[in-house]
Amino acid sequence: MCDFSEKLIAWLDGELPTDEASRVERHLKGCSECRSSLDAYKRMSAGFDAYCDAAVSFGAPCGVARWVPVISGAGAVAALVALLLAMPRTHVAPPTFHAPEAAAVAQSVAVAAQTPTSLVQEIPRRHARAPASVRDTNPVQAQNQNGYLLSEEPVIQIAISADEMFPPGAVPEGMHFVADLTIAADGSAERLQLRPRLAGFERRTTQP
Amino acid sequence: MSGEAAPLALPLSRLATGASEATTLYREMRKPLLRYLVCLGLSSDEAQDVVQDAFLILHRHLASGGSQENIRGWLFRVAHNQARNRQNRYDRNFTAASDGEMDAISHEATPERAVLEKEKFQQLGKAIRLLTEPERECLLLRAGGLRYREIGEVLGIATSTVNDTVDRAIKKLAEKCNV
Repeated sequence: MCDFSEKLIAWLDGELPTDEASRVERHLKGCSECRSSLDAYKRMSAGFDAYCDAAVSFGAPCGVARWVPVISGAGAVAALVALLLAMPRTHVAPPTFHAPEAAAVAQSVAVAAQTPTSLVQEIPRRHARAPASVRDTNPVQAQNQNGYLLSEEPVIQIAISADEMFPPGAVPEGMHFVADLTIAADGSAERLQLRPRLAGFERRTTQP
Repeated sequence: MSGEAAPLALPLSRLATGASEATTLYREMRKPLLRYLVCLGLSSDEAQDVVQDAFLILHRHLASGGSQENIRGWLFRVAHNQARNRQNRYDRNFTAASDGEMDAISHEATPERAVLEKEKFQQLGKAIRLLTEPERECLLLRAGGLRYREIGEVLGIATSTVNDTVDRAIKKLAEKCNV
């Protein structure tokens, strides 16, 4: 067997140093045995790939992975955050949170949540997508002399339907997430925290 | 689950700039990862779970300031380790696939994709089953586009060992298939 046969597959994979690769290339021009072997190795590599593809097609019914909507949900939240950040400073951190502004935020949340990506559209949804809404506002906050908020507590709580972030069936019925947006002293959004909430559970515990 | 279950804290800077990149990465890497995992022997559901877990771990890794170098190799390593943790069904496909499954797999290979004819394809399947576990893993990771160095990192072996293993595995396949 030719001495170069040990290097053919590594050469095929581009794993040889330049000088060694050049030597193999020069050798290949004059060695029909190595050319023939190289051809066989190429076909084996391609055959292995094709076999793997077929195995995946056979084993996987091409469902969309559940991770996709997590990223898409994150994208929607990111879009929401970007929208909030893009709003004039007075809208982000007002001393008090008035109803018209709440409606504006709710609208922006809905816009963000409905911003489709092609991946999202591929996912069949069992339930109608409930738009996210501003769930709670907390106008009573400590203010510094500039009117900015000092508290570590979230100023705005935004309820996002679990259906916006997870595929049907991935989370229990009635589950939603509350996004706590913490505003820094300079008025910028400092932290976003998503907390799962189970609506039914809360209702049961709060009933007299 | 109570309302105060473990919160998912997302650093805003990462989230705002990284979501589209992550989606692109996911689109690019999902198929190779799934292929690797299914060929390792995981069911499609398990493979989907592992891929999902791998990306969530990646998200946490990046969010906590982890290295962004060689994310592809990193993902394969995490997926590989996750698959190892699911040993109960590990290695099912290539070592224990029934003849019926083999036929079905061969049938799945459409003429455009199949490099070999159906009979040779089945022969290849049998030859793949005869490879050792490290040989199959090396070829699978190689098929996933990883460099020898990256394969070595995933499997915890030296690059030179990867080189030898890939060389031996391809030659074994060629010999068994009389190519």
